[in-house]
Amino acid sequence: MVDANPGEGPRRGKADRDDTVTGSLYRMIVLSALAVAVGTVTALAAIAFVDAVNWLNDALLISPRVRVQLEDQRLLVVAVTVLVPTLGGLAVGMMLRHLSPERRPLGPPDAIRAAQTRTAPPSARAGVVSTLAAVLALGCGASVGEYGPMVYLGALVGGVAARLNARIGNLRTIAIACGVAAAISTAFNAPIAGLVFAHEVILRHYSIRAFAPTTVAAATGFVVANVVFHRPALFLVDFGGVQHGYEFPVFAVVGVLAALVAVTFMRLILTTAALAERWRIPASLRPALAGLAVGVVALGLPDVLGIGTEALRFATIEGAFVPWELALLLVAKIGLTALCLGWGFAGGVFSPSLLIGILFGALVWSGLDGALGLATSGLVVYAICGMMALTSAVIGAPLATILVVFELTHNYDLTIAAMVSVVFSNLLSYQLFGRSLFDVQLAQQGVDLSAGRDRAMLDGMPVTACMGEDVPRADTGEPVGAVLDRLTAAGRAEAVVTDADGCYVGMLRVQDARAREHETAGAVARVGEVVLHRETTVWGAMQALKGFVGDAAPVVDDDGRLIGMVTEAAVIGAYLDTMRDLRREEHEGP
Amino acid sequence: MKDRDPTPTAAGFSRRRVLAGLAALAGLAVPPTPGRAETDPTSLTIATWGGVYEAAQRAALFDPFTAATGIVIETARHDGGPDVPGRPEARGWDLIDMGAADAGAACAAGLLVPLDTAALPAPPPGGGATREDFLPGSFGRCALAHSTFATVVAYDDRAFPGRKPASIADVFDIEAFPGKRAFRRNPGALMEWALMAVGVPRAQIYDLLSTDRGIRLALRELDRIREHILWWEAAEAPVELLESGAAVMASGFNGRFFDARVMRDRPIIIIWDGQLVAQEAWAIPAAADPAHRAAAERFIRFATGPDRQAALAERLPYGPTRRSALERIGLHPVAGVPMADHLPTAPHRMDRALVIDSAWYANTEALRRRRFEAWLAEGAED
Repeated sequence: MVDANPGEGPRRGKADRDDTVTGSLYRMIVLSALAVAVGTVTALAAIAFVDAVNWLNDALLISPRVRVQLEDQRLLVVAVTVLVPTLGGLAVGMMLRHLSPERRPLGPPDAIRAAQTRTAPPSARAGVVSTLAAVLALGCGASVGEYGPMVYLGALVGGVAARLNARIGNLRTIAIACGVAAAISTAFNAPIAGLVFAHEVILRHYSIRAFAPTTVAAATGFVVANVVFHRPALFLVDFGGVQHGYEFPVFAVVGVLAALVAVTFMRLILTTAALAERWRIPASLRPALAGLAVGVVALGLPDVLGIGTEALRFATIEGAFVPWELALLLVAKIGLTALCLGWGFAGGVFSPSLLIGILFGALVWSGLDGALGLATSGLVVYAICGMMALTSAVIGAPLATILVVFELTHNYDLTIAAMVSVVFSNLLSYQLFGRSLFDVQLAQQGVDLSAGRDRAMLDGMPVTACMGEDVPRADTGEPVGAVLDRLTAAGRAEAVVTDADGCYVGMLRVQDARAREHETAGAVARVGEVVLHRETTVWGAMQALKGFVGDAAPVVDDDGRLIGMVTEAAVIGAYLDTMRDLRREEHEGP
Repeated sequence: MKDRDPTPTAAGFSRRRVLAGLAALAGLAVPPTPGRAETDPTSLTIATWGGVYEAAQRAALFDPFTAATGIVIETARHDGGPDVPGRPEARGWDLIDMGAADAGAACAAGLLVPLDTAALPAPPPGGGATREDFLPGSFGRCALAHSTFATVVAYDDRAFPGRKPASIADVFDIEAFPGKRAFRRNPGALMEWALMAVGVPRAQIYDLLSTDRGIRLALRELDRIREHILWWEAAEAPVELLESGAAVMASGFNGRFFDARVMRDRPIIIIWDGQLVAQEAWAIPAAADPAHRAAAERFIRFATGPDRQAALAERLPYGPTRRSALERIGLHPVAGVPMADHLPTAPHRMDRALVIDSAWYANTEALRRRRFEAWLAEGAED
């Protein structure tokens, strides 16, 4: 197995801008080695993650296979069902509060933010704590998913690998994409879906430079999971093909309805988070309360515990659920997952979406088959359509979801049917909600990718980065004549006026000063001009400077003290640099 | 992948074993000095399953043991179940040959003597650790697994002149394959097959059967074919029911079907799909005479030796639990067929097999039995 340390590649001063043959050869070697290393580590970590969760599920009496063996100890099972998720929630809350610098679980949004805005991802420590918290949460039966944390795990591995000083542009973004691709590839045994997911959700462009290593990482994850460890296939279903032409429009309707459920689900996640804030529930206690709710509901409806692998399978078997059971479990799972995720139980939204979607698809089918008496191709295809339509709306990755179906089931007919549902679901949920739950969550944190990546990047760049200090300054008490003399000597048209404490007072313009040479600078200075704060972003400055006529705008700190000046030219320069960089990244050759 | 034990390739090796076995049978081999100590009993009573299975044990294990020790083996008959060692008829049994899962449940119920099962068997002849020589899960708290067998469905070839049943789904397909099915009156295997018939992959069978919904689903599937089921309890019954034409398909143990087909040329064909692979084990009932305990342990040590395990597998296709025994299996002493191919654990069969989870089986026995009996009673009322 290739496990070269990418740091040992040839380094003869190769800068990224080097477009020579040796330069691109160097990059190819380093990136491929990096992809194999990130893919291998991520796949091993992801397998360990799943095994740890399974082990905890068994040890903590969450998995049905262990619970059924304690049938004659009813009291123990009841106690465990309520206490394990509650205490697990408490532990997760404490872990995040005391051990993580971020004080919250990390997930795909953090990976997206790092890749899209080129900002540093949260620290490795925060990533490790978040991952362990997710293992604990899933191990204790919280109604959350495992793929979100696994995606972040991949991003974490990629982020650490990218600390390598290889002098390759956008190395971090590529390495994060590699980790994410390997994580999905390992988790689902689906290398193509992993590759596409990394592009659709993380990179959001298809440059060949990123594509090649991401593919290598996805293949590596697949090899480790399949060839080395023989991980079982996740989902095996039999499907003989769509029998009636009219079912395709029905699949589209399934997609539309699934989008409505998905939007409700996502809004509920955001609402529960907002409610917790409004009710002032301490952040470290929220997961415990969510866990308590899961435990209490599980006493009557054990299917809500954990990832729900059994329920996922039952939903594909005709007659395993009666319609009202499907509806009840659907509502319970939506409510509890929203509660768990909104209240900070570490975990993802992917696997709950799969379960909610498959229950929904099965429910729709039972309506078609039972109530309407429509001849259909059977339950399986509707269940899968519902599952994928709902999931793709939530994670905002239609293409990856379609490919997951294909790679999980190896069934072409099923994939085509799911494709129809997925695309209509995405169309509608985009209109009603946004690209994905991740993007909306990011927007709430101030990273709005819906207006394009350039905006998000400029929004992440402080205006102080393009600040200059060479603007003439004047004191409030200084006579205007003296200031004019200095301006004339320097060939400038304005001076910034500050008081004795260094606080910004206003701008003194040459045209205002005519015939007022004997007054003080403070009296003549224009107030109410554009003033930028230290924390204003370049994007904010661009908005503020619309219609601005002066040479430069002042930047002040919290106390109003002047810390520098920003010229319009510098802001435009930053904008152009960003745009050029993005275009370059998105069209990079190998 | 961990490398398996190197297989001795020389065909002559196994043939030699066969010849040695035959010679021993014919009494030509020099009998080892009978080692019966003063304190040993003159005989041991072993409870086992009767029929061709017992005959094979007699030839491969019991008589050679008597030849080696002077202790005569008497047999008693049982039809399985975790409660067997506690029944009145078990009085006087010194040893019992029972399913490993049943033994687990019986052990938990205090019906068996706890044994240091890892210390019982002889070390492998080629050296190495005894524990490594046995298949994983062979060492129970009260029982030492000695062979693997499969519960399978077989059909009467005469009943289906055209298309033959080939899968568990076919067994549940009354329309395509009409006729009575003879099933063991036991939830084991049946519930698994019922879930397989509705499309549950083998890897998920026990996870789903662990839920109330899974059990209900399995019973519902059985309910669909309820009126086509005949129930049997004794291990030789399925072959008889197929031979007499009373049933067209029957569940049963692979060794019995093998014997009917290969030794007696009956038109009985095993469906190698969804076969439940389980282990048989030696155990000592808690009620056994303590004075016979040492001799009983001596028998277990003797019978689990690699050459004895191989000798049994040459007579009936039940796979040895020892790797060192696997490589010694040669031809059937009478039919002359290479027996390794007929074992339920033969590699070409394993991808369609379901290996039972013994611990799960033992711990869910009562629940499954209760639900199964309730379902049977439901049908009786109708």
